[in-house]
Amino acid sequence: MQQGGASDTEVTWEDQQNINKFGRLNNRFHELEDEIKIAKETCDNLEDASNELILTDEEVVRFQIGEVFAHVPKDEVESRIEEMKSVTSEKLENLKEEKESVLAEMAELKKILYGKFKDSINLEED
Amino acid sequence: MASSSSSTAADSSAMVTERRGIPGAQFVEDVQNYLAQSGLDVHSALAFLQERLQQYKVVEMKLLAQQRDLQAKIPDIEKCLEVVATLKSKKGTGEELIADFEVSEGTYSRARIEETDSVCLWLGANVMLEYSLEEATGLLQKNLENAKASLEVLITDLQFLRDQVTVTQVTIARVYNWDVHQRRIQQATATTAQDS
Repeated sequence: MQQGGASDTEVTWEDQQNINKFGRLNNRFHELEDEIKIAKETCDNLEDASNELILTDEEVVRFQIGEVFAHVPKDEVESRIEEMKSVTSEKLENLKEEKESVLAEMAELKKILYGKFKDSINLEED
Repeated sequence: MASSSSSTAADSSAMVTERRGIPGAQFVEDVQNYLAQSGLDVHSALAFLQERLQQYKVVEMKLLAQQRDLQAKIPDIEKCLEVVATLKSKKGTGEELIADFEVSEGTYSRARIEETDSVCLWLGANVMLEYSLEEATGLLQKNLENAKASLEVLITDLQFLRDQVTVTQVTIARVYNWDVHQRRIQQATATTAQDS
């Protein structure tokens, strides 16, 4: 009457390396989720900013550079915001791609580890 | 038969034994051998491993704090670079840069920044030096690269550390399970001895 958790399955160095890799991927996954959240917020803020720009009839806009708000002509502000938007959305795309590949790798490792250890290992988020 | 060899049984495969002061966790091929070679009983072994785990946690806190500092520093340097670049682009146009800046929290005032060839950089420790725009850009760029490089090294350290933590946790689980298994076998043999 063997209960789960007291199994005889030996843990090899390769298994240990797989477990380590899973841990690392899981950490990276959480970091990516945070980074994606921040990038999305930045994208939304830039979108709001450029919408406000369209609505305003001032010729000079206060644009934040570093810690100060410089007076910049509206056209220049528009192009700066467009550039920031494309940089941020590219970054967001890359982050999402990395997240997909991390998830895929984690699913692979789960298959391997559950295959060998079945109930003796728990790889779920608590 | 526990041979009392004062062991540092570095038995296994390609494994880094330490990295920048962080000791590597020894991977245990076989629990029985490990206990025999180290001459420890189960409780002492578990205590030792738990203590190692705590030490790792302490180092992890320290590294995480350093990582947060660096991650805050990098955008600051990038902002400085942006300002210097803006000042540079204004040079030669004859225009002044008009900027609203924070005098104190919640209070802003307007400044007129004329064309300039130099800028002052805060170096820390109450020291501020004046640099030409070129030199300032160079210095800030160098600081940015150093910060990014340090962050890379730190992240690798953290990954190594987390691996050692995982190895140690798995070893603790295996030693514990082995002990449970042994007790069960002993109980089973004891019961059969009683029955016969």
